Amino acid sequence: MRIAFAGNPNSGKTTMYNALTGRNEKIGNWGGVTVGSKEFQLKKEFAGDKEVIAVDLPGAYSMSPFTPEEGITSEYVRTANPDAIVNIVDATNLSRSLFFTTQLLELGIPVVVALNKTDINEKEGTKIDAAKLSAKLNCPVFETVSTENKGLSEMIAKAISLAGTIQKAPYLQADIDLHDKNAVDAEDRKRYSFVNGIVADVETRKTLSAETNKTDKLDSVLLNPIAGIIIFAAVMFAVFQISQAEGPLGIGKIFEGLFTGWIETFQGWVAAQLENSPAIVSAIIADGIVGGVGAVVGFLPLVMVMYFLIALLEDCGYMARVSAVMDPIFKRVGLSGKAVIPVIIGTGCGIPAIMACRTIRDERERRTSTMLTTFIPCGAKIPVIALFAGAFFNGAGWVSTVSYFLGIVLIFLGALLIKGITGYKYRKSFFIMELPKWKIPSLKYAVRSMLERAKAYIIKAATIILICNTAVQVMQTFNWHFQVVEEGAENTSILATIASPFAFLLIPLGFGVWQLAAAAITGFIAKENVVGTLATVFALTRFIDTEELAMTGGASTVATTMGLTTVTALAYLFFNLYTPPCFAAIGAMNSEMKSKGWLWGAIGLQLGTGYTIAFLVYQFGTLFTEGHFGTGFIPGLIAVLCMVAALILIGRKVRAHFDEQYQLHKAAKAAKATA
Amino acid sequence: MEFAYAMNKSATGAVAGKDARDNAAGIMTLLDAEPGQTYIIKEINTDDDEMNSFLFRLGCYQGEPITLISKKKKSCIVVIKDGRYNLDKLLSEAIII
Repeated sequence: MRIAFAGNPNSGKTTMYNALTGRNEKIGNWGGVTVGSKEFQLKKEFAGDKEVIAVDLPGAYSMSPFTPEEGITSEYVRTANPDAIVNIVDATNLSRSLFFTTQLLELGIPVVVALNKTDINEKEGTKIDAAKLSAKLNCPVFETVSTENKGLSEMIAKAISLAGTIQKAPYLQADIDLHDKNAVDAEDRKRYSFVNGIVADVETRKTLSAETNKTDKLDSVLLNPIAGIIIFAAVMFAVFQISQAEGPLGIGKIFEGLFTGWIETFQGWVAAQLENSPAIVSAIIADGIVGGVGAVVGFLPLVMVMYFLIALLEDCGYMARVSAVMDPIFKRVGLSGKAVIPVIIGTGCGIPAIMACRTIRDERERRTSTMLTTFIPCGAKIPVIALFAGAFFNGAGWVSTVSYFLGIVLIFLGALLIKGITGYKYRKSFFIMELPKWKIPSLKYAVRSMLERAKAYIIKAATIILICNTAVQVMQTFNWHFQVVEEGAENTSILATIASPFAFLLIPLGFGVWQLAAAAITGFIAKENVVGTLATVFALTRFIDTEELAMTGGASTVATTMGLTTVTALAYLFFNLYTPPCFAAIGAMNSEMKSKGWLWGAIGLQLGTGYTIAFLVYQFGTLFTEGHFGTGFIPGLIAVLCMVAALILIGRKVRAHFDEQYQLHKAAKAAKATA
Repeated sequence: MEFAYAMNKSATGAVAGKDARDNAAGIMTLLDAEPGQTYIIKEINTDDDEMNSFLFRLGCYQGEPITLISKKKKSCIVVIKDGRYNLDKLLSEAIII
C-alpha cells in the first residue's frame, strides 16, 4: 500500500514523513526544500502488520505546476495511483491551502487532511473547527503537530483504513474546455470562492495576518538592501569561522585536534603491527590505506560543525529572507534570488545544491544556477582547504574565508558571462518568495543532520576513498611490468606515467609535477581524494595534524616535500576548488540541465575557470614575490586566450540563433495582437 | 469568527480613499501603496499567463485583498491570504490596485 504526502510548500510534509518512517530527509523552514519524491516504509508502530510505503512529495500550490518540482507532485498523484493521500494543510494558512485540497479530493483517491502546525495557531489564538471542516470537505481532518509527533498515529491509521474506499468530492470542477483560458479562470475563481466560504465558516482569528507584528520589524532590517547584506555576510563569516578557523570561536578546530590525536594513535598501532611484514604490504596498508583515509577522516569534525550550523540556519526561516535580500543583486547578473539557497546548501554538498535549483522557474536561470553553484566550496573541499591553510599558511583563517569569497565572486562573474552569452535581456523574470514564520531551530534536527553527514562521510572514506587510495598506492608502487619501482626511479611507476601528460599542462600554473596532477585527477572521483592522494604519493602519513607539524617545524617539511611555494600552493588549492566538481555532482548537473550543450558548457566553463584562476594566481603571485613571471607564462597565456576566444565564438553562435527566435516570437505576438 | 473574517475583508474599505490619489493615468500599483494598508486588487498585469495563474493559486487575483506590510526601493512585502511574501519591483508594478 502506498500513501502519498501532498500539500503546499513548507506545510511540514517531510517533517511528518520523517516522523512516520524514521528517515532523516532534509527539512527546512522555507518552501521548496523537498525537490524530488522519496519513499520509505512506515514504522511498525504506525503501520501495524501491513506493509505501507509513505511517499513524500515536493510542495505544490495546485495541480497545475509552476516550477519543475511542483510538476513532480501533480504528476505523481495523477498517474501513480496511490492508495490514499495525506494532504498536509498548513493550519496557519488555511485559506490558501484548501484550494489544493479541493483539487486532491476530486481525484477519486481517499484523502485524509492533516491540519498541521496547530501549535502555532494555538499560540496566535487562531481557532479552526476541525469537525466542521471535516463535514464541509467530506473527508477526515486531524489536528497534527509533526515536529512533536502529535496526532500522527490516529491520522495515519485512518488513511490506511480508507485505502480502497471512495469519498464524494465536496467540489467538482464543471465540465469545461481545459484549453479555454477564460473558462479555466472562471472555474478557478468559483473554486476559490467555495474555499473562502469554508474558511469563513470554520476559522476564527484573534490576530489578523495583515497586522504588522514584531517579526515584521526584524524582517525589515534583514531585507534592507544594505544592512541585510552585511548581516548575511556576517552570519556566513561566523559559520566559516566557527567551523574552520582557529581561535576562540573555532569549535571545529578544537574537535579536529582531539580527533587527529586518536587517528595518529591508531596509525602508530597499525605500523607497530606491520613491523615484521614485507615493505610493500606495510607501504600499502600503513601509507595507502591508513594514511590516506586517515588524512581524510581527520577533517571530519570541521565538516560536522559546518553541517550543524547550516542546519540551524535552514531551520529557523532565515533562508527565505536571504534569498529575498540577495535578489536585486543576483538579478543584475541575470540570476534569481532563489539561486542563493543552492549556494548555501552547496557549502555542504554540491549534489543537493544542484537539485535545489529546481525551484527556479526560468529555465535559463535554473541552468545557469546549476552550472555555477558548485563554485562554492563544498564540504568535501573543506579538508583540502584546511590542509593547505595548515601546511602553507600557518593555519591562517583567511585562506578559508578567501576560498568562499572567491567562490561567490566566480558565481557572479560566471553569471554575467552566461547572461552575455545567452541574451538574458529578452526575458522578464519575476521574484516572489514566501517569508515563512520564524521558528526556533531544532537542536535535535541539527544534531541528526550532522550525524547523518558524519556517517555518510565515514562510509565514503571507507569505500570510495579507501579504494582510490589503495589504487593510487599500488599504481605508484609498481611500474608497467608489475615490478616494484626502485628508489630514485619513481617516475617510471604506473601512476607517474599516467599523470605526467596532465602535469605537463599544469606547468603554466606552477605545479607541473605528476604527484599533484594525480591528486587533482583523483579529486574528480571525490574531492576528499585530493588530500588522501597527496598523503599517499608524498608518503606523508603524519601530515594531517597540521597544528603539530607547525610546532615541530613539520609544516615546512610538508611544504618542501610537495615542492610548492606559498604562491603555487594557493594556485593549486584554487585549481582544485574551482575546477569541475566530483563525477557524482557532474551526473546531477546532467540530469538537472537536460541538455548536453549546457552540460558541456558547464564542464568547459569550470575547467577554464579553475585553470585561469590558478594561472593568474601563480603568474602574478610570482611577479609580486619574485619580480618576474613564473615558468610557462606564454603557453599558459595562449591557453587562456584560446578559452576566451572559444567563449566569444560560442556566444556569437548562441546569440545569433536567439535574435532570430526573438524576432519570430515578436512577429508571432504582433500577429496575435492584430488578429 | 465570521466577525473576524469580515474584518479581514472590510479592512479593504480603506481603498476608497486611496483611489483619489491615483495618478493621471489612473493606474496605481503596489509600489504606490501605503504600508499597513489593505487594497483590493484591480488587475494583475504580468504579461505572463503562467505567472498570473501562479499568483492566482496563492490567492492573488482581481477582487481579492492584498496588504502592503513594507516597501523598499526594489521590493516589497505583502500579505496575501494568510501568507507573507516578498515581491520584486517587476512583480509589484504588475499588481494594479
